[in-house]
Amino acid sequence: MQIEIDQSRNNSRIWTTWLSAIGIKPLGLGLLVVFALLPAFLKDEFILRLLISALMFGGLAMAFDFTSGFINIVNFGFAAFWGVGAYTSGLLVVKLGWSPWLAMPAGAVMSGILGFGLGLLTIRLGGIFAACMTWFVALAMMSAAGNWVELTNGHSGMTVPLFFDTLKNWPYFYVVLFMVLGIYILLTCIIKSHVGMAFRAIGQDTEAAASSGVDAVKYKVMNFTISCTIAGLYGGFYSHFIGILTPLVMHTSHTVELLAIAYIGGRGTIWGPLVSAMIMVPVMEFLKDLMEFRLIMYGALMIIVMIYYPKGFVGLWETAKAYIRNKRKSLTMA
Amino acid sequence: MPDPNHIALLQINGSSPVYLRPLEGDIFMELLLECWDVLVIAILRGGLYALMAVGLSLVFGVMNIPNFAHGELYMFGAYTAYFAYTVFHIGPIPSILAAGILAFVLGMILEKGVFYPLRKRSKRQWVMNTFLVTLGMSIILQNLAKLSWGSTYHGITQYWQGRVRWLSSIAISMDRVVGFLIAVAVITTFFFFMKKTQTGRAIRAVSQDETGASLVGIDLNFIHTLTFALSAMLAGIAGACLLSINPAYPTMGLNPLYKSWFVAILVGMGNVGASIIGGLIVGLLETITYFYFGGGWQDVISLSIIILILLFKPRGLFGVKGVKTALE
Repeated sequence: MQIEIDQSRNNSRIWTTWLSAIGIKPLGLGLLVVFALLPAFLKDEFILRLLISALMFGGLAMAFDFTSGFINIVNFGFAAFWGVGAYTSGLLVVKLGWSPWLAMPAGAVMSGILGFGLGLLTIRLGGIFAACMTWFVALAMMSAAGNWVELTNGHSGMTVPLFFDTLKNWPYFYVVLFMVLGIYILLTCIIKSHVGMAFRAIGQDTEAAASSGVDAVKYKVMNFTISCTIAGLYGGFYSHFIGILTPLVMHTSHTVELLAIAYIGGRGTIWGPLVSAMIMVPVMEFLKDLMEFRLIMYGALMIIVMIYYPKGFVGLWETAKAYIRNKRKSLTMA
Repeated sequence: MPDPNHIALLQINGSSPVYLRPLEGDIFMELLLECWDVLVIAILRGGLYALMAVGLSLVFGVMNIPNFAHGELYMFGAYTAYFAYTVFHIGPIPSILAAGILAFVLGMILEKGVFYPLRKRSKRQWVMNTFLVTLGMSIILQNLAKLSWGSTYHGITQYWQGRVRWLSSIAISMDRVVGFLIAVAVITTFFFFMKKTQTGRAIRAVSQDETGASLVGIDLNFIHTLTFALSAMLAGIAGACLLSINPAYPTMGLNPLYKSWFVAILVGMGNVGASIIGGLIVGLLETITYFYFGGGWQDVISLSIIILILLFKPRGLFGVKGVKTALE
C-alpha cells in the first residue's frame, strides 16, 4: 500500500518537475485550466474580446521583454514588427489568396527577416543608439505603409478576411490561448537553456560576457530575431482577428503601451509581462470613463514603478511569497 | 519650376518687386533658381530643427538623459503662445518670449520633481531609466493638455502679415522668415551664453566631467536644473514660433520629437554645436524629398539616408571619441 502511494507520489512529482521545467508551476496550471474553461461560462462577447486582446498584448509584452529584460536593449520600434507581420499576413490573403492559417506564419517569417537584418546592422551597437535606430526604422515603415497606396491602401486602411466565419469570439480565444501557451513554453525553454544564460550575461555586462567567451553579437541578433518573429506572429493573428489594418498599427504609442506593460510587470521574467497585461488591459478598459485621467495614471504609474519599484509585479509577488514564508517559519519555530 | 517671366529679385509684403530680366529658355538658370528655392526652404526649416535639436543634445550632453518628452515641451510652448496671443492679446514677440519663459519654468519644475529624486535614489542604468521616465512624463503631459484644452486644434492664422519672395517664384510667408530669424537670434544668444559667461562655462564643465566640476565648486543640482530648463525654453520658443504653421494640439509633439532625434543621432549625441549643422542637413534632406518625391515620403527617404550614414559612421557625423556618445 505504501509502495503504491509512494509510486503515485513519485509519478506526480515527475509530472510537476517536467511541467515546471517548461515553466508551468501549479498556480499557472490552475490558471490555465480556468482560462481554458472560460468560454463555456462566459457568454458576454465584449469581455471575451477584451480577454483575447489582453492575451494578445500579453504575448507581445513577453516578446518585448525577451529583448528589453534579458539583453537590455529596448526595441523601441516593436510596433513596426507587429505591423509588418499584420500587413504581410493580410496582403498574402487579400492579394494572393492564401489561407489565413498559412499567412500568419508567413507574416512571422517576414518580421523575423526584418528583425534579423536590423539586428545585424544596429543591435550589435546596443544602448540608446539601438533603441533610436529601431525607432527610426519603425517610423520609416509606418510612413512607407501609409504612402505605398497601391500595395496597402494607404491611410484608409485595408480590410482583411477573418479566420473564422462565425461572429462568436470563442474560436479566437482558443487560438490566442494556444499561441500564448506555446510562446510561453518556447520562451521559458530558451531562457532555461544555456542560450538564456548567455542572454542574461550579455544583459548584465556585455564586456564581461565577451571575455567569458560569449559571442555577444550572435546572441543579441538571435534574441532580437526571435522577439521580432513572435511579434510578427501576433501581428498575423491581429490582422485576421480585427479585420481592418491601418498604418497606425505601427505607431510609437503602441510600443510605449507594450513597454509600460512589460516594465510594470517586471523586467527579466517571462510571466511578469503576461500577468501585467492580463491585469492592465481590462483595468484600462474599465476605467475608460475617466478618459484622460486613466492615461495620466498610467504614465504616473510607469514613472513611479521606474523610480521606486523597478521589479514591478514580479517583485510584488516575490515579496509576498517571502513574507508568507517568513510567517510560516516563525509560526513553526515558535 | 520657376516661371521665367516672374522671377522677382526681392518682394516684401506684396510691394512692387524688382524683377530680374529673365533669360528665356536658359536651363542652367532655371536649375539654379530651383536649387535656390530648395536651399531657402531647407534653411528656413532647418533653423527650427536646429533649435529643437540643440536643446535635446544639451540635455543629453550635460545630464545624460535621452529626453523623449522634448516634443511635449514644444507643445507647451505652442499652447502658451496661443493663449498669450489670442486671449491676452499681447503681440507676437512677447507671446513667443512668454512661451519661452513659461517653458523654462516648466523645465525647472520637471527637473526638480522627477529627475532630482531619481538622481538621489540610484544611478544604475541611468540612461535607460531616464528614457523610460521621460516616456512616462510625455504621456502625462500629453494627457494633461488633452484634459485642459481638448483635442481640437488651437491655431492662429498668422503672426506677421505678408510674404517674401527672394529671387524665386515661391512666396514664403513672413511668419516662417521671422521664425527663422528668431531661431537664429536665440541660438546665437545661447552660444554666447555658453562660451562667454561663467554659468555657461560651468554647464560645459559639468558636461565634460561631473566629478571634476563639483571638485571646483560647481553646484551640480543648480546646473542640472538650469540645463533642463534651458532646453525646455528652446523647445518652447520653437513651438511658439511655428504656431501659425503648426497649430497646437495635444499630440503635436511626436513629429518635432523624432525630427530632433534624427538630428541628434545624425551628428552624434551630446554634440551641441554640430546640432545646428545637423538641423540644416535634415532640413535639406526633407526639402529635397518634398520637392522631388512628394510630401508623404519625407520620412522614409530622409530616414533611409540617415540610417545609411549611421551604418558607416555610427558615432554620428561629428561624433568625437571620448565624449559621451549614443553608444553608452
